[in-house]
Amino acid sequence: MVTSIVVVGVGGQGVMTLARWIGRAALAAGYDVKIAEVHGLSQRGGSVEVHVRFGERVYGPVVSEADADYVAALEALEALRAFKYIKEGGVLVVNKRIIQIPGRYVDPEQVYAALSSYARTRFIPAFDIAVKLGDPIYENSVIFGFMARMLGLDGYVDWLDARNLKAFEEGRKLASS
Amino acid sequence: MRHLLLGNEAIAYGALSAGVAVAAGYPGTPSSEIIETLEEYKDRFVEWATNEKTAVEMAYGAALAGARALAAMKHVGLNVAADPLHSAAYTGVVGGFLIVTADDPNMWSSQNEQDSRWYGLQSYIPVLEPSEPQEAFKMAKEGLLLSESLEHPVMLRSVTRLSHVRAPVDVEPPAPPKFGKFSRNMEKYVLVPQNARARRADLLKKWERIADIAARFISVEGDGPVTVVTSGVGYLYAVEAVERLRVKATIIKASMSVPLPRKILDLIRGDAVVVEEGDPVVETQLRILGVRTRGKLDGFFPRMGELSLRSVIEGVSKALNLGVKLPEPPRPPLQPPPRPPYFCPGCPHMGTFYALKLAAAGHNVVWSGDIGCYTLGINTGQQDLATHMGSSVGLGMGIAVADKEKLVIATIGDSTFYHAALPQLVDLKTKRIPMVVVIMDNEYTAMTGGQPSPSKLIPAEKLAEAVGLKHYAMDPADLKKSIEVAKKAIADAKSGEPVVVVSRRPCILEAYRTARRSGVRPPKYYVVADKCKACGICYNVLRCYAITRLPDGKAWIDPSLCNGCSMCAQVCPYDAIKTEDPERARKWLELWSRA
Ligand SMILES: Cc1ncc(C[n+]2csc(CCOP(=O)(O)OP(=O)(O)O)c2C)c(N)n1
Repeated sequence: MVTSIVVVGVGGQGVMTLARWIGRAALAAGYDVKIAEVHGLSQRGGSVEVHVRFGERVYGPVVSEADADYVAALEALEALRAFKYIKEGGVLVVNKRIIQIPGRYVDPEQVYAALSSYARTRFIPAFDIAVKLGDPIYENSVIFGFMARMLGLDGYVDWLDARNLKAFEEGRKLASS
Repeated sequence: MRHLLLGNEAIAYGALSAGVAVAAGYPGTPSSEIIETLEEYKDRFVEWATNEKTAVEMAYGAALAGARALAAMKHVGLNVAADPLHSAAYTGVVGGFLIVTADDPNMWSSQNEQDSRWYGLQSYIPVLEPSEPQEAFKMAKEGLLLSESLEHPVMLRSVTRLSHVRAPVDVEPPAPPKFGKFSRNMEKYVLVPQNARARRADLLKKWERIADIAARFISVEGDGPVTVVTSGVGYLYAVEAVERLRVKATIIKASMSVPLPRKILDLIRGDAVVVEEGDPVVETQLRILGVRTRGKLDGFFPRMGELSLRSVIEGVSKALNLGVKLPEPPRPPLQPPPRPPYFCPGCPHMGTFYALKLAAAGHNVVWSGDIGCYTLGINTGQQDLATHMGSSVGLGMGIAVADKEKLVIATIGDSTFYHAALPQLVDLKTKRIPMVVVIMDNEYTAMTGGQPSPSKLIPAEKLAEAVGLKHYAMDPADLKKSIEVAKKAIADAKSGEPVVVVSRRPCILEAYRTARRSGVRPPKYYVVADKCKACGICYNVLRCYAITRLPDGKAWIDPSLCNGCSMCAQVCPYDAIKTEDPERARKWLELWSRA
């Protein structure tokens, strides 16, 4: 059994870090792991997409369309863009935040409504929580907490530093409730 | 303990454990982390070369002198290095010589999708093709030692989905670096025709021996009736596809994919399904050996882009007539607008392009572009071409002589300038071609992650001076002055003179790093809503990514994105963009210029 996750967001949001955290927790839990990153041009404020797969033995590094157990989106427009990856019954985890595209303003409510039309969407106010904790950079830690709990990996993060751990706990609580 | 390592890191550790002593590369996605990893080891000579040709020459020379050497680059870099590469096969080497190239199927960060393995066939250099990071470690080590025992260069071909895949890897500790001693061997190393003919004859014999050795790199899994031949990451997808399709197969993995050994024929029963990343290189060789294949040549697998589990399942299904249909990908409930990459807020290139645009208004301009962050000038229509490193000056000269009506403005980054445009500078002068060459000197190789550029040590204006070209300096954070400078340069070109403009200010990302280290918080700018007249100059003409057009047309600056460059405040005709503390803003510009 291999679990496939697609992590998306906007360059600068810590998409890669989130994916590596998930991979590191999975490794600590004893799984084989592959993380497919994309570096370079994709980081200049553009869409960023990283694939994580873990299980007893992972072969292919890339998640195919209609094959992801989870899509974790740090931004709502990117959640729409990654929608094609969700497999039947897969879960879409969305940070409730929109980073507008220059010259292409979209109405946030319309985006959230569209995402809610999928039954297995879970909105996480990670950005708001992170701001309350003092810095928006912790939004990926909040999502990490949520994901780790969903994936059964929340017991394998003793390497996470204290400040990120606080945000992590907030996310984990949301997944437990 | 196994660590999650990138394929590139694994390659570097493999070379270290084989005692690599000299390593040279030129940055390029997806290859850059190989040299970056090796750079930490100060007991060896590791360098960023000015281009791939000098990198390969550095490593080749070191290997001639008996050292263990590695050269690393992206696929297109091998084109730049192709000349010494071919000679290396003729002369052979004394120490191990491993050439690592990272191909980029699907062109995630490249201008083409070329397959480096053809170079192996063309130059008579064997190619190793690992499929995942652990194997990359092993093969980098083996490859370097094999090269030394064969006295012949060896290539290691990676792809994006190996170089930039992170997976658990067991590494062995580095071995001491093996440097060397150069011994004369004129008959081998001086390739005058008489010697070269002897080397050619030798090379052809050696190639047959290498083809026998390639048989050692073949592994077989399963013993089903269907034969699947794979190499590189193709192997990974093939294993998974066969499993999901419940096909009973024999999977043959050719880890040395060039040359394919004749012995592979003993393993193939009937037709062979071929799964490989890139061009049909394994498949073509199989056909030459007389195997009936079902791969990319007849369209069972897509010729474009990279493999995926999906395309391999579909391809195997087609090849075996299984009629499997995979579920359609779900459609998003709302189509999001595209999010193309932009200049980072405060990018000096944004200021340079703004100044050039205003200064060139009314002229019939050809924006002769190039490869680097500044290619993002496409967002404001200021790149008419960008084909390869050096295209701006090189192709620009051709356009200028072919179409004298146009004003050619070539825009080239500093790293690209030193990499590819020094000879062009000489042509510009000796043929007196009237055009403007703008060197966008952000003092780093920003596009590939901020590697150093020679510009700090050898300023471009000194080179222009030495060649005897008229040149100007500009600071892109001072837009008014920049426009004046650009106007002067354009007037020179219009009067028939080639002219160089050096637009210098460090990459804003590097400036931000410096600021963080020195505890400085860059200022933020904001829009005074009452004063904003919704003219759109800041978000349409300057096009800063931090500035959003609100539904009423007014501008809004996202404080989490603003880098405090002040350019928007300079372009606003209504004085509607402000910062809290102008003194802090001034200090920031000063610190930034020294990043
Ligand atoms: C032959 C070749 N080698 C390497 C690359 C990868 N690459 C793309 S742009 C670039 C250099 C960018 O640096 P610079 O010219 O200073 O511009 P900047 O990105 O800093 O604006 C490199 C190394 C390439 N495209 N082609």
